[in-house]
Amino acid sequence: MIKDTWKFEPFTEEPIRLIDEAGNWIADFPLDLKEEALKKLYRDMVRGRLLDERYQIILRQGKASFVAPSAGHEAAQAGMAMAIRPGSDWLFPYYRDKTLLAAIGYPVEMLYAQMMATRLDPNKGRQMPEHPGLKELNVYTVASPIASHVPPAVGAAISMKIQGTGQVVLTTFGDGATSEGDWHAALNFAGAQGAPIVFAAENNRYAISVNFEKQSGSPRISDKAHAYGFPGYHVDGMDVLASYYVAKEAVERAREGLGPSLVEFLVYRYGPHSSADDDRVYRSREEVEFWKKKDPIPRFERFLEKQGLWTPEEGERLREEIKAELLAAEEKAEAAGPVPPEWMFDDVYGTPYWLLEEQRQILLSEL
Amino acid sequence: MAVMNIVQAVKRALDEEMARDERVVVLGEDVGKRGGVFLATEGLYQKYGPDRVIDTPLAEAAIIGAAVGMAAHGLRPVAEIQFADYVFPGFDQLVSQGAKLRYRSGGQFSAPMVVRMPSGGGVKGGHHHSQSPEAYFAHTAGLKVVIPSTPSDTLGLLKTAIRDDDPVVFMEPKRLYRAIKEEVPDEEFTIPLGKARVRREGKDLTLIAYGGPTVEALEAAGELEKAGVSAEVVDLRSLVPWDKEAVLESVAKTGRALVIAEAPRTASFASEVAATIMEELLDQLLAPVYRVTGFDTPYPYVPDRQYMPTVTRILNFAKKALDY
Repeated sequence: MIKDTWKFEPFTEEPIRLIDEAGNWIADFPLDLKEEALKKLYRDMVRGRLLDERYQIILRQGKASFVAPSAGHEAAQAGMAMAIRPGSDWLFPYYRDKTLLAAIGYPVEMLYAQMMATRLDPNKGRQMPEHPGLKELNVYTVASPIASHVPPAVGAAISMKIQGTGQVVLTTFGDGATSEGDWHAALNFAGAQGAPIVFAAENNRYAISVNFEKQSGSPRISDKAHAYGFPGYHVDGMDVLASYYVAKEAVERAREGLGPSLVEFLVYRYGPHSSADDDRVYRSREEVEFWKKKDPIPRFERFLEKQGLWTPEEGERLREEIKAELLAAEEKAEAAGPVPPEWMFDDVYGTPYWLLEEQRQILLSEL
Repeated sequence: MAVMNIVQAVKRALDEEMARDERVVVLGEDVGKRGGVFLATEGLYQKYGPDRVIDTPLAEAAIIGAAVGMAAHGLRPVAEIQFADYVFPGFDQLVSQGAKLRYRSGGQFSAPMVVRMPSGGGVKGGHHHSQSPEAYFAHTAGLKVVIPSTPSDTLGLLKTAIRDDDPVVFMEPKRLYRAIKEEVPDEEFTIPLGKARVRREGKDLTLIAYGGPTVEALEAAGELEKAGVSAEVVDLRSLVPWDKEAVLESVAKTGRALVIAEAPRTASFASEVAATIMEELLDQLLAPVYRVTGFDTPYPYVPDRQYMPTVTRILNFAKKALDY
């Protein structure tokens, strides 16, 4: 069934916004999400924020070597998570997506295990922290080279189209990724093929220290979709309902055979790029404070409060509950024990190779 | 038995595998109605349709990257890169995505795909149509690298590469595409990766080669025979995995070896083979192992043939080894 009416116009100059800063529903269509769904969005955002805070602690404790802060991205990620079918649709994420991954059901103890490279990491501790992946949920393991996962995401979407599986791909990336040649090559191919894919830019306005004005002459990332022949949506990514509804529409379009969409979520990264970055050298504290006033979580709390679905006491109770869950997950991940060094020779190829067996023996003789 | 050349062998391998397994798809520039610029996919579009023979945009990163994603999602893509010289925009997709997908995901995902590319010189194409970039790929853990030199090996190895569960870079020596014809069995067969083939037996000297220069190695062996020297020719066929056992067995017998390849010498696969022989057989060697390779210059337009390891160059190094 092809719909003849869609909720959102592509290529708007102003970001699509459904709740204002005061928490009022300002959309021109009725809210059709049930209480349960609204509470899930809220819970997912809070869990993402708290997980981000806990990661800072395990970093300081020396249990992880790296963190990519995601505070400020929660609304976009929680919204996207609810727009796809976890376990059926495929997700090609980047390294700042912990809210998104936890929200689709990626077990938090496995996220921790990846952070700390313990045996509970299904990726066997092969990569630095913030690089999860889980086949069971069709979460393609994160790779560091920026935008390099976007062409494979398109390939998976073409495969879905060829095989008529009814699945959709969602791939996320930061604003810096949109400058890479592989990003262009991927979007161009997806457009030519009409592949069922949603490209999601989490535009936090900085690629490490380089701001968006230096990244591109385009005023908006969403505008770039025009050249590839598919819609581009410019969204307030700190509005969880705008994020959800636009992502949902883009996913539905893909599922109904209308091809790709590019969705630009305007967010702000409250922390530095990573634990190895010092953001004070390239942006003012005033700027960060300005954006903290627009924090997506209190904004959604104001909305929920007006709906009669939230009180400060309930919010505090939820935080305590999630903190306990996270602590339990962290303990479980740690208890699994570190990945043994001899695992390094597994999974290079699917079949044994004499060369690697020789080298495994060299390592074993050193242990 | 049908007589066929290497291009026909590629086409037959693709056709047989596409008929056998509907997950096998072909993608690349001009692979559809045009049948590829070397006609290696001729007729496949008409037989299997646009969903399985996919004309792509002119973007190697998109071709290889999409192949990785297709493979991860369950297809068996065979990507064609028009010339090996054009693989570099797709290099990141091969080395960062395809090669490392199984490893970085702890074996959860894999990329069973083939990237075919005509490689090597001898077609008057200058440096952007003549290079032999196999060392870049052999240097990357997670990739397999196969380079056949005959029609039957091309057929049997390409079929195996398509069935392999890991990414395989399949380099086809383009100057031999139509230069060699041989009888190939009509019944289906495959050849395992990682097995060298002794193309000619001998006892005084081993000529180890792969791809295009296998032809010159065989010719040189013929010349040496006239001079009373018995040369064995070992065709590696596959660089990753490579057949160390077969190489060492031959050199242990002859005591002398030349490693012959078209690619430049520095950090080459020929160097890897030579170093391994010297590490493992030093006390049985009668002479140093010489690398007879292309020069460390960009591939020149003129002189085209003289860049490659010619029969003359092979014979000169053979003399050096025999006289040592």
